[in-house]
Amino acid sequence: MNVSGLYTALSGMNAQKRILDVTAHNVANVTTPGYHRQRVTLEPAGVASVSAIFAGRNLGAGGVSVVSVDRVLDDLAESRLLRETAMQGQTSLTSTTLDRIEQAFPEPSDIGIAAQLDDFWAGWSDLSTNPGDLANRTQLLERSQTVIDALRRASVELDGLEDSSKESVVRLAADINDIAGRIAELNRNVVGSDGGANDLLDQRDELVMKLAELGGAVTRPAGGGQIDVYIGGRIIVSGSTTQSINGTGGQLTWASDGAAVTAPPSKAAALAETINNTVPRYRASLDAVAQSLVTSVNTLHTTGYDLTGPPGATGRNFFDPAGVTAATISLSTDVAGQPDRIAAGAPGPGVPGRLDGELARAMAGLASGPAGPDALYRSMVSTLGVEVRTAVRRDEIQGQLVQAAANRADSVGGVSIDEEMANMMSAQRAFEASARVLTAVDEMMGVLLRTGVVGR
Amino acid sequence: MNRVTNSMTSRTTLRDLNMSLGRLQQHQANLSTGRVIRKVSDDPTAAVDAMAIRNELRRADQRNRSLNDAQGWLQTADTALVSGLDILARVKELTVRASNTGVGDPSAQYAIATEISGLRSELLSIGNTKYLDRPVFNGTAEGVAYNTTTGVYQGNDSVVLREVAPGTVMSANLTGEQVFGTQAGVGGDLFAVLDRLQTAILASDSTAMAAEHSNLDTATKRLAAAAAEIGTRGGRIDNLRNRAAVDQLSMSERLSGLEDADIAEALLDVKASENAHNAALQAAARVLPASLLDYLR
Repeated sequence: MNVSGLYTALSGMNAQKRILDVTAHNVANVTTPGYHRQRVTLEPAGVASVSAIFAGRNLGAGGVSVVSVDRVLDDLAESRLLRETAMQGQTSLTSTTLDRIEQAFPEPSDIGIAAQLDDFWAGWSDLSTNPGDLANRTQLLERSQTVIDALRRASVELDGLEDSSKESVVRLAADINDIAGRIAELNRNVVGSDGGANDLLDQRDELVMKLAELGGAVTRPAGGGQIDVYIGGRIIVSGSTTQSINGTGGQLTWASDGAAVTAPPSKAAALAETINNTVPRYRASLDAVAQSLVTSVNTLHTTGYDLTGPPGATGRNFFDPAGVTAATISLSTDVAGQPDRIAAGAPGPGVPGRLDGELARAMAGLASGPAGPDALYRSMVSTLGVEVRTAVRRDEIQGQLVQAAANRADSVGGVSIDEEMANMMSAQRAFEASARVLTAVDEMMGVLLRTGVVGR
Repeated sequence: MNRVTNSMTSRTTLRDLNMSLGRLQQHQANLSTGRVIRKVSDDPTAAVDAMAIRNELRRADQRNRSLNDAQGWLQTADTALVSGLDILARVKELTVRASNTGVGDPSAQYAIATEISGLRSELLSIGNTKYLDRPVFNGTAEGVAYNTTTGVYQGNDSVVLREVAPGTVMSANLTGEQVFGTQAGVGGDLFAVLDRLQTAILASDSTAMAAEHSNLDTATKRLAAAAAEIGTRGGRIDNLRNRAAVDQLSMSERLSGLEDADIAEALLDVKASENAHNAALQAAARVLPASLLDYLR
C-alpha cells in the first residue's frame, strides 16, 4: 500500500474537472457562430503506450491523464459548407440586383412604360381623327414628354444600380482586406499557442467563411497550424502576410500588380456580373426601345404636313435625332412647345392636305409593329421576368443547399445541450466516485496509521 | 445515427417558419390586391401576354373612338342629304309649275325664280355642313366646301379614312363632287343647273326648263345614291361596332383570366396557408424548448 492511490484518485478528479470545464465552455458557446464543440481526450496513465520490452520503467500505479482538448469537426462537411456559402453570396446578390431592376419596370400595369407608350400612340390616333384641333396636338406633346420621362427614369434607375454596385465593390475590397489581415494575425497567434488554440481556430474558420462569401476564398494548410488563403487562384493570405486588393473603378484588382481579381462564384463575382453584364445588357435593351421609337416616329414625321406654312413635307423631326438612348431621348426643338408643327397629314392617297390625318393614323399603327418599340420593350420585360424568376429560384435552392451543408457540419461539430448535460452528469458522477476513492484510501491510511506500530 | 444539435433544430425551424410565412404573405397579397401577377417575374409568360392584350385593348378602344367619329361624319352627311333631297323635290315641283302655269306671267316666274334662288342658298349651306368644325363634303381641304355666292367647289376629292377594324380602314366622307356632281361634267354640278334653271325661268324658255328638269332628275338620283351609300356605310359601322364590342369583351376576359385572382380560390389559399403556418408555429413551440434540462433536478 502506498500513497499513489491518492494521486490516482486525484488524477481522476482533475480529469473530470477538466471535462466539466470543457462542458461549461461548450454550453456557454452554444449559440456562438462558427463555434465547434470541444472534446477532452483521456488516456489511462501508467500504462505503457509502447510495448513492454521498451518500457524502461514502471510508469506508476495508474490514473488518468488528459491528452488533449480537440475541436470536433468533419472536414468534408466544413469544406462543402464553405463552397455552398460562397455560391450563396453570388445567388443572393444576383437575385437582389435583378429584383431591383424589375422594380424599375412595373409591368403589367397602368403606370409602366408600356402604358405610357400606349397613351402616346392613342394620342396620334386622336390627332388623326381631328388633325386641326390644337387641344389634341397639345395633349400629344404632353404624352410624348411622359414617355420620354418614363424612359429617362428607367435609365436613371439603371445608372443608380451601377453606381451603388461600384460603391459596393469599394466596400467589398475594404472588407476583404480587413478580414485577410485578421486571418493573418490569427495565423501568427496560432503558432506557439497551445491552450486556447481551438478558439482561435474557430475564429479563423469563421473569418474564412466570410471571405468565401465575399470573394470565393479557398484555403490550404500551410504547416504549423497555419493556413494559406487563395482567391481566384492567387494567394491573399500566406502565413502571417497578406496581399491587398483595390476596389476603385468598379473592379477588384491586386494592389501589387494591378491585375484583375478573377473571383469564383461569390459576392465579388456577382457584383462584377452586375457591372459588366447585367446593367449594360438592360441599358442596351432600353436604348434599343428608345432608338426604335425615335427612328420610326421621325422617319414618318419628316414626310408629313403640319399646320404651318404651305402644304408640303416639313422635313422636321419629332424627336431630337441626336438622342437615341433612353438617357438622352427628347423632343426635337422643332416641335417642342409648338403643337401646330406636329405633322399629321401625309402625301396621298388623293390630294394631300394639312387636315388629312393619314400620317397620324400611320403613326398610331406603329404601336403594333412587330419590331416596333412596344414589341422590343415587351421582349425586354419578358427576358427580365424570366431572369428574375430563375435567379430567385436559384437563390432559394442555394439556401436549401447551404442549410443542408450547415446542418451536416453542425451534426458533427455543433453543441447539443442534451449531450452536454449527459456529459456533465457523467463527469459529476465520476468526480464523486474518484472523491469517494480518495476518501476510502484516506480512511485506509488512517486505519494503518492508528493501528500500526508507528501510530502508537 | 446523426447527432441533432440545438443550432440545427433552430435553423431548420426558423427557415420552415419563414417559408410558410412567405407563402401566407404571397396568398394574402393575391387576395388584397386581387391580382396574381403583380410583377413580371410572378409569371413571365402570362405577364407579357397581359401586356400585349393591354396594348391590343388600348388600340381597340382607340378604334372605337374612330368608329364613333366616322359615325358622326356619316350621320351628319346623312341628315344633310335627306334635307337636300326634300329641297330638290321642291325645286322640281317649282320647275314643273313654272313650265306649266307660270309661262307668260312674269311676276309668277319672278317669284318662282326667287324661291329657287333661296333653295339654292339652302343647298349651298347643306354643301357646307360641318362636323366638329370641319366641312364634311370638303375632302381633306381646308376652308368651306362651296363658295356661298358663286357655288364653286373649293374642296378636293380626297377620302377621309378611319380605322374601323384591325387593318381595315373605311372612308367616312363623300366629297361635294360625289354628292352634287362635277362642274366639269355634262350639265355641270347641281348649283350650275340651278343657276341655269333660274335664268331659263326668268326668260320663260320652256325648252331650257325641260332640259334642266331632266338635269335635276340626274342630280336627284346622284343625291339619292349618295344617301344610300352613306346608309350602307352606317350599317357596316353598326356591325363593326358589335363585333368590336364582342372582341373587346373577350380580350378583357382573357386579361382578367391572366392577371386577376380568383377570389374564392385566393380565400381558400389564404386560409390553407394560415392553417399550415399555425401548425408550423405550434410544432416549433413544442420542439424548441424540449431539453434534458427539464428533467434534471
